[in-house]
Parts: sequence; C-alpha cells; structure tokens
Amino acid sequence: MTAILRTDAVTMRFGGVTAVDQLTMEVMEGEIRGLIGPNGAGKTTSFNLISGALKPTSGRVFFRDQEISGRDAADIAELGVVRTFQRPALFGDFTVLRNLMVARHLHARESLLQAVLGSGRAMEAKNEGIAMDILRFIGLDKYAGMEAANLPYGHQRALNVAAALATEPKVLMLDEPVAGMNPVEKEAMTGLIRRLRDERGITIILVEHDMRTVMGVCERVTVLDFGKKLAEGTPREIANDPRVIEAYLGSEETVA
Amino acid sequence: MDFPTFLQTVANSVVLGSIYATVAVGLALAFGVMQMANFAHGELFMGGAYVVYVLYALGGVPFPLAVVAAFPIIALLGMLTERFIFRPTRGNVLAGFMATAGLALILQVLVGQTWGVGLMRSIPTPYMAIAEFGPVRLGWQRLIIIPAAFIMMGGLWLFLHKTKWGKGLRACAQDPEAAAINGIGNNKMASLSMLIAGGFAGVSGALMAPILAVTPYMGHGIIVTAFVVVIVGGMASIEGAVLAAFLLGFIHTFTTTLFDAVVSTMVGVAFMALVLVVKPTGLLGRVKQ
Amino acid sequence: MRILLLIVVAALAVAAPYLVPEYYVEILVLFLINLLLASSYRLLTTTGDWSLSHVVLMGVGAYATALAAKLLGWPFWLGLPLAGVASAVIAAALVYPLLRTKGFGFFIASFAFGEFVRLIWVKFTNPFGGPRGMINIPTPELGSIDFFFATPYYYLTLVIVALCLWILYRIDRAALIGDVMKAIYMDEDLARSIGVKVNHYRAMAFITGGFFAGIAGALLAHRLGAIDPKNFDINVMVYLVIWVVVGGTKTFWGPFLGVIVMTIIFETSRPLLEWRPLLFGGILIFFLIFMPGGLESLLPKRWTSRGSSATEVTG
Repeated sequence: MTAILRTDAVTMRFGGVTAVDQLTMEVMEGEIRGLIGPNGAGKTTSFNLISGALKPTSGRVFFRDQEISGRDAADIAELGVVRTFQRPALFGDFTVLRNLMVARHLHARESLLQAVLGSGRAMEAKNEGIAMDILRFIGLDKYAGMEAANLPYGHQRALNVAAALATEPKVLMLDEPVAGMNPVEKEAMTGLIRRLRDERGITIILVEHDMRTVMGVCERVTVLDFGKKLAEGTPREIANDPRVIEAYLGSEETVA
Repeated sequence: MDFPTFLQTVANSVVLGSIYATVAVGLALAFGVMQMANFAHGELFMGGAYVVYVLYALGGVPFPLAVVAAFPIIALLGMLTERFIFRPTRGNVLAGFMATAGLALILQVLVGQTWGVGLMRSIPTPYMAIAEFGPVRLGWQRLIIIPAAFIMMGGLWLFLHKTKWGKGLRACAQDPEAAAINGIGNNKMASLSMLIAGGFAGVSGALMAPILAVTPYMGHGIIVTAFVVVIVGGMASIEGAVLAAFLLGFIHTFTTTLFDAVVSTMVGVAFMALVLVVKPTGLLGRVKQ
Repeated sequence: MRILLLIVVAALAVAAPYLVPEYYVEILVLFLINLLLASSYRLLTTTGDWSLSHVVLMGVGAYATALAAKLLGWPFWLGLPLAGVASAVIAAALVYPLLRTKGFGFFIASFAFGEFVRLIWVKFTNPFGGPRGMINIPTPELGSIDFFFATPYYYLTLVIVALCLWILYRIDRAALIGDVMKAIYMDEDLARSIGVKVNHYRAMAFITGGFFAGIAGALLAHRLGAIDPKNFDINVMVYLVIWVVVGGTKTFWGPFLGVIVMTIIFETSRPLLEWRPLLFGGILIFFLIFMPGGLESLLPKRWTSRGSSATEVTG
C-alpha cells in the first residue's frame, strides 16, 4: 500500500498560539484512520491545513506525490481530498436532491453559453440520476424533495457525507461525523463509513471524540495533544498507551 | 517641485491627514467593534459643519465653543443611528449599510430643507491670521486642526487602553463572544462606538466648516476618502486607519498640488486597488479566524 | 397557468403604448431600461456581492455607445453590443482587485472603484465632455422608422430588454450555474469544499451583470440623447439598491416587483419635490428592517417556487 496522504512537519501558528506543532503523519490508501485527542489538541486545525482552509505556517502536505499545502480548498477538493465540517453544512434553501446536484459540481459543470442555450439539459438530467443514486446509497432517497434545512440532525450529517461523496473523493475527511447522534444513528454512520471504504475504495480519516466509534471503525489511530503527535497505532495499542491515558486523564474525556 | 513648495505641501498634507484620521477612526471603530458599516458617516461630518454654521455663523457663539458643541450633538446622532438602524439589523452588515444609505438621503433632505441647499460659504473665518514657518504659510484656521486632531487621537488612545469601557471596546473588536462574557453588553458597546464615531466625525466637520463649502451634500466628498482610508488601513484597525489617513493625506495633497483634486481622488483609489492586490487585509489588518 | 400569465403580460407589453397617454410611453421606456438594470444587478446579488459600482458600469456602456456614434460614426446596432462589451471589460478590470474583498470591504471598495471610473468622465472633457457630459447622441436608424419618437423607441427597447431578460432568466434557472452561485451565498466554505472555485463564479456574475448594465446604458443614452456623469452617480446607485431591496432578490422576479412599485411611487410622488429623497430613504430603511426579503417574500411560496421539476419543492 502507498501513502495517499502525507504531512511533513506541518505547523500552524496563530499569533502566539501554536495550534499544530510539527505534525508528521502518513495515511495509507484504503485505510480508515482516526485522529483523536483532547479538546484543543489541533485535530480540526489539522483538517483545515490538509483541506486548504488554512495555509500552514511551515511544513508541507502531500497528496500522493503532489504538494497541496497552501493551495486553494477548491483545488484540493478537485484533486480528491474532501472534508466535512463539524457543523451541519448545507445549502439550506435547496432541497436535499438539489444539494447533491450542486455537490456534483466537479463532474457536472456548464458554461454560460450552455446555460443560456439549454444544451446542458441532458447533463443536468444525468446529474440528477447520479445524485439520486448517491442518496439511495446513503439512505436519504426518500427525503430527496425535502428542504435540507428541515432534515433532522442525524440526516443532515448524513447529507454532509453524501455531498462529500458526490465529489468522487479519493480521501474523505470526516470532522466528528457522529457528534450529537443517538446510538442508532451512530451505527448507521459507522456502517456507512465502512461501506464507503469497502465498496468505493475511499480512504477515510475521521476526527472523533466518541471513543467507541473510533475503536470500532478505525484501523489505525493518531493521537494529538497540544498540537503534537503523541502516539500512533492500532486502536488497542493506543488505548493501552500510558501517555494517551494520561493526556485524557487531564481532560474530561475517557478512552474507552 | 522646488523645496519651499515641497515643504508647504508637506504642511498641507499633515493638516489633511489629521482630518482624514479623525473622520476615519470612527468608521473603523464602529465596524471593528460591532460590524456596523455606516454609509451615512459623511453626513455625520456634514452635521458637524452645520452645527458650526448654526451656532457660530448664525448664532454668534464663539467658534471654539461651537466646535466643541459638535461633539455631543453629532455623538447623539451617532447613537440614534445605532439604536434605530444598526440594532434592528444587527448580524446583517449589508442591511445596516444600505439602511444608512437611506439615512444619508434623509439627513441630506432635512438639512437642505431647513437651511437651504445652495453653496454656503457664508461662514466667516474665525481665525484670519496666517502663521509662517520659514517658507511655509498656514492659515491659523488650518493650523489648529493639527493639535485638535492629535488631542482627539490621544484622548481616544487613552480611552481605549486605560479605561474599562475602552478596553471593553477593544475586547469586543477582537472577540465578541469573549467580550460578552466580560459583562459590558453588546448594546452598550455598539452605542459607545457610534457615540465616538459620531463625535469624531462631527468635530472634523466642525473644524472644516470655515474651510470647505458647507452644503447638505458635502458628505459625498469625504465618504469616498473615508472608505479608502479604512480599506487601506485594514478594515477594523484603528491604528491602520490613522496610518492610512496620513498616507492618503500626503497622496491627495501632493497629487492636488501637481494636478488637481479630481486626479487626486483617482490616485487615492488606485493606491487602494494596489494595496488590495498586494495585501488584501490592508496595511495593519489581520485576517480574523 | 404560467403560460397564460406570460401571454397576458406579453400582450399588455405590446399594447402598452396604445393604452396609456403619450407622456407615459416615455416612462415605460425608462421602466424597461430600469428593469434590465435591476435584473442584471440581481445576478451579482445571488453570490452575495452587492456592488456599488453597477450604475457606473451602465454609464460605461452609455459613454461607449455615445463615443462610438459621435466620434466613429457607428450606428446604434454596432454601438449596442459595443456598450455591453465595454462594460464587461471594465467590470473584468475592476473585479480582479475587488475579489480580494468581501462584505463591507466589497461594498466600499466597489463604491471607490466606481467613483474612479466616474471621475474619469468628469476630468477628461476630451472625449467624455467633462461634468457637462455628452450631447447630441444620435437616435437609432432603421429604414424609415423614426426612433426619435417614444413609441417606436419603446418597441425597440422592449425587444432588446426582453431578449436580455430571457438570457438572464436562463442563467438563473441553470442548475449548474445559477444554483452554484446561490450555493456560494448560502455557505461559501461548503461550496469551496466541494470544489467550487468561488472567485470564478463571483467574477462571472459581476462581469455578466456588467455586460447587461452596459446594454441598459446604451438604451438610455440613445433615448435621452445626452448623458453626463451625474446620471451614474451614487444617488442613482442607491435608487437601484432601493428597487432591488423593495422587490426582493430571492427569485428572478423580485426586481420586477421592485421596479414596478418604485416607478409608480416615483411618478406619483413628484409633488413632494425636494422631499422625495427623504421618502425613498425612509422606504429603504423600512424594508431593510421590517421586510428584508422584499415584497416577493409576501407572496405565497407556491407563486415563487420553481415548480417545473417534480422533485423540487422550493425555489
């Protein structure tokens, strides 16, 4: 297996605060990797650095062998590295289906001329079909006509994943995908995560606080603390790592 | 340009920069603290000029008193703007901004209908004497602007750094959520910033009343420059606004001396475009996380 | 139902000059021009960019066609597309630094850039005519039709504006462009994360909107016969904003509502004389505080929905 995503001593400083400190990690293609750590450890900031939402103060990020550090988020998404947000991010006024159709943007674009002449109609119809397929895969197809803002919370998070999936990503970074969910919803989401990797070959990185989910679905886990990599290994290994336990003892959370 | 002319232009630039600074800091403060974008800021300036017109030219009140009176009067106008326009539109910068565009129209009509619309140079110059520093000649009317501006800036600095309310304003500009916890309250912060914005713009207009043509539309002339200064300085940065104000004062004065006023406005805007391309956050601005 | 409405409106539009007194036909011409201006402005607002230089772009088109006609002897039929292109080019030049700004910064930077262009007309008497502007702009010529009169000019404007509005409508309806622009406004970070090059779309909206503003400017120039920098200053820009705020920008038809209502108010409030701007300022403030969605937000949702696709519920 090859490293599909690699960070090389990536650092992020805001004024006097170092949010991410010399983070070096490698994610293999087809892996399901967890990124955990106490609050403020720099997990979401790391996502932001990889996805292009932030430009690193120093260090580099590589996708396959291409440097992506500092590039625009839209360009990085086009290359195949896509992230979801901690909040339910939706195009609220649109229906669920339209959300997906817009999310297909990378693969269904039209020029002004095509828009005016209506020659994009065929592409639009095909796009709608593909969008419905994705909704079926995720299990949201019966909500296709509902306004996205009206979806229940768990379904909104699922829609986030669907939208990310619509871009045909190679690497999918999920930011707290099961936050605020009940056990049933969590099961559904973890099942979905596995299917995304098993059926679609997508490499998954997830930031999570829910330890049961992390232990259950991740193959390897990277632990951050104060912006630095603290430990890395299988879920069992890091659950038994005294440094990890100590880091969490200092916070409100516990390792399963 | 020969040396004496150069010195004269420098002196004029400092005067102009002083005015730009006192006008622009209020705009930057209001935006920085509570995202209040005031399109009617030029009309606050105009209001201050009319305070001098009414009190001094019509009412015979001594000029310095009239200028000082402009502060509370226009500060009140600023606070009313906050209460009735910015507060109901809080959270929507565009709405507040456009609503103050409506306010600008209203103020122009009210002033025009009350005191007439024609060109009004009928403010007698209170200080006719001319000071001379070597080759440089500055009318006292213009000269006094410099210390007045510096006193106001100094006062503002002290207020922002040494008083509880001022520190609260700064905290609010950095991080509204943290400031809310501090307990001073958003409404008071907003009201206070618009009070300062109004007061400063009003006094600037008052000081300029004997120098400029006082009309209901004189705000147009200053608002473009105020916007340019704020962008060049860095949107919410007060220090940036002061720096940019003097920079622009120099750019405008030198260009006017070499060409004319229209060209100087254009050059100012072109400079702003350059800053945007090279450093979009402005000279001293920071990107908010 | 919709087709019926369209036919009625079209019939009214065609019959209009014969249904109203002579004086009003002039107003109808201006109404159509304003409709195009407002609709073109709405395109910019879909991405959230409320530019304050749009009316200046209209002026660019007006001056372009006036110069082409007077200095180069170009006929209206060449001047019209030239106007659109000229405005689009200037828009493209302005948008490059403008894209570095957002929100408040965008508003005031666009205002400053607009002033820059306007001051060029003020400063350079040759060729723009300086503060007094340009006069004797020729009327269009086509065979024996005399476009000097309001009614023929009305039909000319009707055809051109209808075509432009149709193009703008198609862009708005296009799922893959119109929707993306709206998506940018709804959640820009999300749009970026799915690969939308935000600046590309903002520029597209700005330049295309500018193109149509230029067309509107050309129509204006050849109707008024004379233009000066005051026709395109910040006061006019604020009025454009009022039309669009009063109507609403959520759907394509919002600006139509705004222009209709405000034209009526504008004409009927003439007796107010110099108090008029106060009325308009008050209207703007009222709508922004109490009805920010504009008049179209009062209409039942069904009227404003897109409706053609079975799976779409809301517009």
